[in-house]
Amino acid sequence: MLGIDVNNKDAASAVGLRRTRALRAGLVLGASLLLAACGGGGDGADGGGESLSGGGAQVVNEMPASREQAARFLTQATFGPTDADIDRVMAIGYGAWIDEQLAKPASSHRASWEAANAAIKAANPSSSAGQDQVLDSFWKQALSGEDQLRQRAVYALSQIFVISMMDDNVGGNPRAVAAWLDMLGDKGLGSYRDLLESVSRHPLMGQYLSHLRNQKADTRTGRVPDENYAREVMQLFSIGLVALNADGTVRSDGSQPLDSYGPADISGLAKVFTGWSWACPEWPDNSCFFGGSANGNSDPDRSFKSMLGYPQYHSPEEKKFLGATIPAQSQSDPQASLRVALDTLAAHPNVGPFIGKQLIQRLVTSNPSPQYVAAVASAFNGSGGDMKAMLRAVLMHPEARRVSGSSGKVREPVMRLSAYLRAFGYQSDSGNWRIGNTDSTSSALGQTPLRSPSVFNFYRPGYVPPGTEAAVGALAVPEMQIAHETTAAGYVNYMRDNIAQGVGQWNSSTSRRDLQYGFAAELALAEQPAALVEHINAKLMLGAMPAELKAEILGAIEKMAIPTLRTDAANQRQVNDAKRARVNAAIFLAVISPEYQVQK
Amino acid sequence: MTHPNASRRLFLRHAAAMASVLGPVAAPFALNLSAMGSAAAQAAPDYKALVCLFLFGGNDALNMVLPTDADSWTPYSAVRNQAPDSIALLAPGTVPNPGAAAASPARLGGVLPILPTNNQGRSFALHPVMGTLQTMFNNDKRLAILPNIGPLIMPTTKAQYAQSSYPKPASLFSHNDQQNTWQALGPEGATRGWGGRMGDMLASMNARPVFTSVSASGNAVWLAGDSVQQYQVGSNGAIRMGTDGSGRVFGSADVGAAMQRIVSATRGTHVFERDMAALGRRAIDAEVALRTALKPASDGLFGTAPSSGNYNANNDPKLQYDNPLTGGKSFNSLAQQLQIVARMIDASSAGGVQARRQVFFVSMGGFDTHDNQNRNHADLMARLAHALRYFDTTLGAMGARNAVTTFTASDFGRTFTSNGDGTDHGWGAHHFVMGGAVRGGDLYGNFPVLGAKNANNNNFDSSPNQLGNGALLPETSVDQLGATLGRWFGLSDGQLLDVFPNLANHSAGRRNLGFMA
Repeated sequence: MLGIDVNNKDAASAVGLRRTRALRAGLVLGASLLLAACGGGGDGADGGGESLSGGGAQVVNEMPASREQAARFLTQATFGPTDADIDRVMAIGYGAWIDEQLAKPASSHRASWEAANAAIKAANPSSSAGQDQVLDSFWKQALSGEDQLRQRAVYALSQIFVISMMDDNVGGNPRAVAAWLDMLGDKGLGSYRDLLESVSRHPLMGQYLSHLRNQKADTRTGRVPDENYAREVMQLFSIGLVALNADGTVRSDGSQPLDSYGPADISGLAKVFTGWSWACPEWPDNSCFFGGSANGNSDPDRSFKSMLGYPQYHSPEEKKFLGATIPAQSQSDPQASLRVALDTLAAHPNVGPFIGKQLIQRLVTSNPSPQYVAAVASAFNGSGGDMKAMLRAVLMHPEARRVSGSSGKVREPVMRLSAYLRAFGYQSDSGNWRIGNTDSTSSALGQTPLRSPSVFNFYRPGYVPPGTEAAVGALAVPEMQIAHETTAAGYVNYMRDNIAQGVGQWNSSTSRRDLQYGFAAELALAEQPAALVEHINAKLMLGAMPAELKAEILGAIEKMAIPTLRTDAANQRQVNDAKRARVNAAIFLAVISPEYQVQK
Repeated sequence: MTHPNASRRLFLRHAAAMASVLGPVAAPFALNLSAMGSAAAQAAPDYKALVCLFLFGGNDALNMVLPTDADSWTPYSAVRNQAPDSIALLAPGTVPNPGAAAASPARLGGVLPILPTNNQGRSFALHPVMGTLQTMFNNDKRLAILPNIGPLIMPTTKAQYAQSSYPKPASLFSHNDQQNTWQALGPEGATRGWGGRMGDMLASMNARPVFTSVSASGNAVWLAGDSVQQYQVGSNGAIRMGTDGSGRVFGSADVGAAMQRIVSATRGTHVFERDMAALGRRAIDAEVALRTALKPASDGLFGTAPSSGNYNANNDPKLQYDNPLTGGKSFNSLAQQLQIVARMIDASSAGGVQARRQVFFVSMGGFDTHDNQNRNHADLMARLAHALRYFDTTLGAMGARNAVTTFTASDFGRTFTSNGDGTDHGWGAHHFVMGGAVRGGDLYGNFPVLGAKNANNNNFDSSPNQLGNGALLPETSVDQLGATLGRWFGLSDGQLLDVFPNLANHSAGRRNLGFMA
């Protein structure tokens, strides 16, 4: 089993019982967390089937059994483990670390983008910051930010509540995209109902899914409301296509899955999403509705301020959807309509398992058990729809600690890069963390944060790659939807060049790529190849590198000769280059391995 | 398997194409001519390929193929002319107004008449930017139109559709599910597509199974069979993994060799590692095979050699379309996908490939035109028309037109109604089939009745073919399209019923739509 400490149920329980001091500490520091992981106190839903005492209370192992265990947890909860993070988790335990992280102040992507914009304008008043500066801010926080868990959650949520800079309206509003990330970091760790409202009223979403400026029907001419957002808010952001049990399994009528909604629900809900447009000082002037300004007045922050309801464009008709009815309004009231719609969606029993399972898939494993999904949904429901409770339950469930031959997930390309950069502690020459666009499938990652091809994200949660062993086992592997022969080679070449030259965009002032690392610790081991491989194993592979892989790497790098330094040091450069080539090769052979590319 | 006559034809056309590009400049022409003679791969005489061109997002085919007789045009113009931005295209013969907004109906001018052999007592036209396809339909007869096609379990009337118990495809109107249904006859989660299944049945005709099923776009379930797995080729060819020309990484052949072993195997038992390793192995093996088989994109068959410097597809005039938004030329990435498909077809008889049946997948996105439809859709139609013409011309130069059949597919059609500047998710749509073996210049299937909207609701009571918001209830099924193509491709009746189980729900006489010669 790859030499990994298989943390099965019995082992976890035994360790948990022995570590009474740690457990007690965990109970104090992470009381709310334990409650969350307990499935909200035994409300009848299956709380995970991991009961320790049999008395209904479920106890999770608070303290990591090893640095490798802590590193594995950090792979789920951050953009990649660092030695400092591992030390911290070892010192205070999982739950306390989560509490500590969530208490850290959020770093603002919009402030970061605006600072970059100001600097660019200072150098050249006619130019301004763009998408790259959104990505700079993303990577800066991902690689060097203190609030790792929040930013990791933001990234996960950005793949559930999707907008994409591929879209001209979104990509053309980079400051608003930065604000969108801040919104996910704020509301995404608050109540789901608030998150859903912020998402639904965000003008970027309004443009991306076209409900901004959407007008009520015109029965005289036959114009109908745009149904786009009504459809996708149900399919993707709240309840999904099919009725779910609390554990995420599909409810069926015996032969067919039960649909969560039908065309009539979409038509009904589409009326709710009419009459929404820009925040504007002259609201509700018609010109504000269409163009965001009237009489020369506009809100400079309208690209990210919540959309306002314009009664004159909002459908006054009766609106029926999902069993709810909003009576016909004598005075159109978009706010009232939206309140009922979002209350209805947020209270739907599908939300917990539907969103919860996807959060598990983004952070921990592609194929969670029904018990795991049920525990996460139960924590969410028991907390009144709190996203923090959901997040805690995802990270603290015993199944998140377990390793098997099908646990975990294929590491998405962005996370492969971030884990590599964090493991070695790359720094940015410019301070701007200029990774830039990594869309190219043939020479980069084939994935850029916030640039998915559509609102359906880079990959679907239920994607089963055809013709694979996973398919034989009916396993979902979402991340393989963007893995193919071109990306397989493209990733290898990209990492080869990253290791050799540094990472990211070129800085003409330094004549090198922006992100750099000196490999001092590694170069010091260059003449001890076995120690070098072990060092890389600890940095990149949680100490779980299989012996055969170590042997492959060792066999290759040992053949890379390092000349003996002459007494006059005249061949110092050759020696240095040879050492560096060996270090490069050792790291390269690790990061391209299937073992690294899968987060187990 | 070089066919002497075909080679000669290929050679002459190639030379003519080169001459037209290079004009009277003799020296480079001669150089290219000699290079050409050394690499004259040609498809086997019984070679056949199917190309699926997927329009992601749900193409508004109601603005791509239009009935222009008065009974159709009157409701069309009324329903689609909505404030603030009418999406009703204008009647044939309308002179473009150069002062109108870019890509607006007035700026584009009237729709372009086409003359089907059997016109069903009506008249028809194409979107105003599809002049190349108008020619291909009317004159070349290499383009056929399948009106109102979509996924069906069995023939379905409007009354039957209203019955909740009547069998219908799952998750209609949902993007991902209908993409999957078009490609794999089931909603998201289905893992075998009908292109790949055909590949399963015919892969024994190919020396190297890996090149049976090829995507020039991303992963596509249409290409996946039971044993056949898609190979994804980059738009500029296969990407060499890691090594330099001498097999070295960081100057070391040992590291290069270790890289290949590490990427293509796992030392553990984890199922995802094994699948990632299998992918890495295919990436290495296929690139080695294609390294010598593929002619360069700059070869005059497929592209335009630059007068100096390296070939850059973005600057190749053959891959540029007339952009209706700018009035200038723009790079067409769909044409570049079809360029690598053409190069793969050209390489099909090369030693490392040796394929006689291949299925290809190309795609373009952006068809979900809920808003801003005039600009977005006109641009997409222009790219589609240019790319199809580029591919037809290229296959002609290769002498391979009769061997390659291309068809369009999309999530779904869109609503007949307008939301003010766009359309919503529908079901049935019109689609193209293109090729030398296609009985072009005609419609295969009844063109639907486009009716007037009920003033009190969103129904279209006057049409037997239109559902709520005027979405089309398909009359022809994807199974019938696939079976007609599959028969041409070489599948038996029994194999077709195996690939398309719902084909049995159509009478025997309706299983072949007749558009293939």
